[in-house]
Amino acid sequence: MMSDKQITKESTSWVINTLTIRLAKRSIFRNTRRTLLTILLISCSLAAILFTDSFVRGMVNSMIKISTQTFLGEAQIHQQGFRAANDIDLYIQDTKKLYQQLNNTNKIKAYAPRIITGAMTSSSENVSSAIVYGVDATSEAKVSKLKQAMLKGNYLSGKAGEILLGDQLADLLEVSLGDRLVVTLSQAHGGDLSQALFRVSGLFSFNERTMDTSMAFINLEQGQELLNIKGVHQIALRLQSLEQANDKSLAIWKTLNNDHLETLSWQELIPQLSSMLSMTKYSTLIVSIIMYILVALGLINTMFMSIYERQTEFGILLAIGTRPKQLFIQILTEGFLIGSLSAIAGLVLAFIFCYWGSIVGIDYTDLEMSGMTLNEPIYLILDATSFIGMALATLFITVVACIYPAMDAARLQPSFAMRKTL
Amino acid sequence: MSNNTVIQTQHLCRHFGKGDTLVNALNDANLTIERGEFTAIIGPSGSGKSTLLQLMGGLDTPSSGKAFLDNKNISQMSGSELSDFRRDHIGFIFQAYNLIPVLSAKENIEYIMLLQGLSQAERHQRVKTIMHAVGLEGLGERRPAELSGGQQQRVAVARAMVSQPSIILADEPTANLDSKTGYDLLDMMKALNEKENMTFVFSTHDPKIMERAKRIIRLVDGCIVDDERKG
Repeated sequence: MMSDKQITKESTSWVINTLTIRLAKRSIFRNTRRTLLTILLISCSLAAILFTDSFVRGMVNSMIKISTQTFLGEAQIHQQGFRAANDIDLYIQDTKKLYQQLNNTNKIKAYAPRIITGAMTSSSENVSSAIVYGVDATSEAKVSKLKQAMLKGNYLSGKAGEILLGDQLADLLEVSLGDRLVVTLSQAHGGDLSQALFRVSGLFSFNERTMDTSMAFINLEQGQELLNIKGVHQIALRLQSLEQANDKSLAIWKTLNNDHLETLSWQELIPQLSSMLSMTKYSTLIVSIIMYILVALGLINTMFMSIYERQTEFGILLAIGTRPKQLFIQILTEGFLIGSLSAIAGLVLAFIFCYWGSIVGIDYTDLEMSGMTLNEPIYLILDATSFIGMALATLFITVVACIYPAMDAARLQPSFAMRKTL
Repeated sequence: MSNNTVIQTQHLCRHFGKGDTLVNALNDANLTIERGEFTAIIGPSGSGKSTLLQLMGGLDTPSSGKAFLDNKNISQMSGSELSDFRRDHIGFIFQAYNLIPVLSAKENIEYIMLLQGLSQAERHQRVKTIMHAVGLEGLGERRPAELSGGQQQRVAVARAMVSQPSIILADEPTANLDSKTGYDLLDMMKALNEKENMTFVFSTHDPKIMERAKRIIRLVDGCIVDDERKG
């Protein structure tokens, strides 16, 4: 008998752990087809989650880029109260000092002063309301995509009488390049009517219906003259990086917000986009949760099938001295191994598809979302943290999904499990 | 209970189902097995042979009564305690061999010793000795599926004996073997019984085992009806 003999004991737990891993490793590859199908299910789910995550990141990035780079800028400065009242009398007056301050702020890459007013545009054929922007041609080109958006004619050169129209507004007014156009607006400080004759010097398209049907651009100086103001209504800022718009600890947010000036980031300027982007993140989370639940259910099913098939074997293991806890750990180890292989396969699959999507892009051109037209393909963004996090989550879910089947196996009574034999 | 007693059962009963479907698989079984016995439990199918063997081996829980193995009441042990107890005190041989399919013959034999925490040198020495004793030399690396029925049963016998248990419980060990292999295996077990004083309890229909058994216990409808000792 063992107890009567003098035996040398190694570190028993280490030996048992090694034995458990060996058994688990060999067991999962006993039914190779089923294991591979399980790995395929989990890895495809992980790849799908990561693809969705990368796609959403790309889409968010595209939408922010479209919003900020097309015309808005990453931030804007206004006179306090202008945005709320949309009153042309509320303009930034001391522009020289402000420009100097902006020039000395290294976080600001470029800025574009603008005057903004509603106006009546009249051609020989038609009349339409429009929002007329007075812009400095050189600085505007550094901040917005107006210059790149030109379809026909020439960009502003600074000469009086030039006007750029959105192509759809031009269609409405039935004008083309060189045609005459009268702009009527009410001046600041009293509201006297002011009129000026322009010749259509260029047509633009931002590929965004609202902008292309309602915007017109004239030179800043002529705009100020027409409105009878010395200052500007808006200064659009291009920051060194998009992240700076989110970093409220930066000094510019304090120095450019005071009793006179209101400086807002793009999130505050278009809160509906920020809300939508937050919702998008939640939707990714929901998709991930659904995927994980499906993976867990699939895995529980697979593990139960595997355990059912191996009941006799588990009965033998228990009969010859394996503790229920060891059996429990063995099945969790099988889950861990399947999860690890699936995570690796899923990461490889996801990397291939996401990398391809990040290079080629997914063409959603001309699709309108939340009033915004996607005017370029969505390029997927691969995020290492997300890849590692999701892979670890998959591994965790896989092991957790095995707990129930493992408990079931550990509770087996050997005589019941081996009913067919002993 | 004497120090020579390996198994003792007291009023052991096992019922399955309830009400109209109640089956009395074993009724009031009182039995003592002494060290070194070579005992056969015989009886028709459904007489309770396997149930008695399962209860003696702690593989099942009695409905009432007690089973003692090496003077310990195994009827009241927890799952883990029973596992440890079976590992250290009982060797099982099953009708369908019941080897672990993912382990080689050598690993199957070594398995219990790994659980017991024996040193590698000790394990290897014992495996070598037992494989020689059961005639499995050269087959150690083969998986069960690569062995014949007789070879698999030899592995099962080796696995049951290698940990040097107090008793070996064998459920119809020759049922799936041809006559010659069955004889060989029985002769081998009989030799071990005589040489090592190892205790064997068989559940069987096989006349070959009955011929060799020193004691025959007959079960009918879950009741021990005869307990005959030879010589």
